Amino acid sequence: MSITVEKQADLKDPQEALYRPLLCKMVSVKELTPTEKLFRLERLDGRPFGHRPGQFVQVSIPGIGEAPISVSSSPSRGSYLELGVRRTGVLTGALHEMIQPGDVIGFRGPFGTYFDVDAMKGRDLILISGGCGLAPMRALIQYIEDHRDQYGKVTILYGAKSPIDILYKDELAQWVTSTQLNCQYTVDDVPEGTCWDANVGLITQLIPPLDIDPARSLAVIVGPPIMYRFVLQELKKKNLPINQIIVSLERYMKCGVGKCGHCTIEHLYCCMDGPVFWLNDVINLAGAL
Amino acid sequence: MKAYDETDLALSFQALGADYDVRVPILLSDGTRSLGRLEEGKMALAGGKLGAKPTSVFFPQMDLVFQQKGTNVRMQAPPSKPLMVVGLTAQDADCLAFLDRFFSTNFKDDLYRQKRMNSAVVVLSGKCGRDGEMLRLSSGNCDLELVFDGDRYLALAHSQTGKAMAEKMKGGLETDEISLGRLQRESKALPDDELKLLQRASSLLLDNKVPEDFWVDISNRCIACTACNLACPTCNCFDVFDWKCGDSCVNRYRLWDSCQLDGFMREASGHNPMGTEALRTRRRIHHKLAADVIRWGQMGCFLCGRCDEVCPTGIGIKAVSREMVEKYG
Repeated sequence: MSITVEKQADLKDPQEALYRPLLCKMVSVKELTPTEKLFRLERLDGRPFGHRPGQFVQVSIPGIGEAPISVSSSPSRGSYLELGVRRTGVLTGALHEMIQPGDVIGFRGPFGTYFDVDAMKGRDLILISGGCGLAPMRALIQYIEDHRDQYGKVTILYGAKSPIDILYKDELAQWVTSTQLNCQYTVDDVPEGTCWDANVGLITQLIPPLDIDPARSLAVIVGPPIMYRFVLQELKKKNLPINQIIVSLERYMKCGVGKCGHCTIEHLYCCMDGPVFWLNDVINLAGAL
Repeated sequence: MKAYDETDLALSFQALGADYDVRVPILLSDGTRSLGRLEEGKMALAGGKLGAKPTSVFFPQMDLVFQQKGTNVRMQAPPSKPLMVVGLTAQDADCLAFLDRFFSTNFKDDLYRQKRMNSAVVVLSGKCGRDGEMLRLSSGNCDLELVFDGDRYLALAHSQTGKAMAEKMKGGLETDEISLGRLQRESKALPDDELKLLQRASSLLLDNKVPEDFWVDISNRCIACTACNLACPTCNCFDVFDWKCGDSCVNRYRLWDSCQLDGFMREASGHNPMGTEALRTRRRIHHKLAADVIRWGQMGCFLCGRCDEVCPTGIGIKAVSREMVEKYG
């Protein structure tokens, strides 16, 4: 990973309003699970957000604050932005409880690195996501669907805690039946009395049966921190080199632009150098995975 | 070259007040010194480094980001006059240059830069330390340097801004550069043991030769008071919060934050990449001595000594580096 560093600060060039939120309208709100909703936003000026799959935006609600949220829609689907948001903190709670279609909220960004869709061209792709890691992965999957002829075999693996926690159920069903994709999903546990006839168990159990050609494959992993180590162990057994694995890391961020310091991973800023990293750039950094 | 006494300098700073919002070291009632305006107290140039974080002039502890009323967002206005800051040491000026680059690389931080742009920095060096102690001469990271020879301050401009300031200064006597040359030699002869110690500690960290047990031991002595971060001139972490200031009016502020606090990296999900005191203590030292070296090509500590002075349990960066080098080479 190359980091650009200016030798000396140039204090005379024009300024940017780095922390000014722009305004966007909440177009629709859809419940995905009891704790997750899908929000669709459009800029008030009608312009596209200019995002790429893997990036995030800082969502701003005056009086509440800001929080980084992964974008879960591909720019190839339109000029809107979709955010799959789990209710966990103050801002996400306010998004869930207070914001209705038609409301105006603020955003900054998009920020951060993105999935290198060019490096993926011609490759077999293994897209592995756990929990709400499917939110940013969905943006990539949509992009690949819209440029399907540019990629080799595409395998989607997804794990959720229980059937009720499964995100994007309609799309997941389409991916499963698609002849263009190999999509499998599993849940960690099925509560008693729940009707369920699909896989049960950790996402790692979906990897051993896969036919992976290490020479032409590339894996992308997005999920909760605990998931990475075990998924990587399974991919290692498949002889997939670490320079053919992309990870997206989650960190607490306040500014999104590499200034506030909350998301540092050793010398890297997750908001600016990430959140999407090639595994070999972070695997040896303390606290990265 | 001109030499000035304190009366000349007070008059000069007053004159420069036409162009600048001037801040000078002011003597406080408890005998300490702090940056303030000329009318706020007695100017006290001599006495060594200022106790508080000197870079806070440009990166204040709490800073308004914007005010939002309805959908109208008004960003913080730039200062009406550029700042002129007198009283930084040479190390403080190096810290400021470090922050300048940090806030100007990649995304440019307008809150910092609108205070820093067109500002002027005046370093005090020479025999104006505490009890006449020799302060290191500047490496040039300032506009004007006032080098105290024990009697008068020799004015040394390091930039066009500094030259323009020198021309507007009042009084002063023309002097040769013999005295300056002597002070420069004295400055070069100052011991560099602490720098060597820090460089050695940095190498140990970069070579991964410091085990986790070391950080557990150091962290057992940390009470997470955050004084180290609050005093450090290069610490730049901040939190952001909203404050309701009336119906549909919100002020968004940023406020210094500390990597020594448990909640610094804790995510809403509960995941905390720095969930132990040992990891947080390591981060404080490792970031300055190793991470900054990798990212910026230089350490983020310039040996100002403030964290060692304010730490109530003796684990400032110099003390930890000393212990590290004693244990691991």
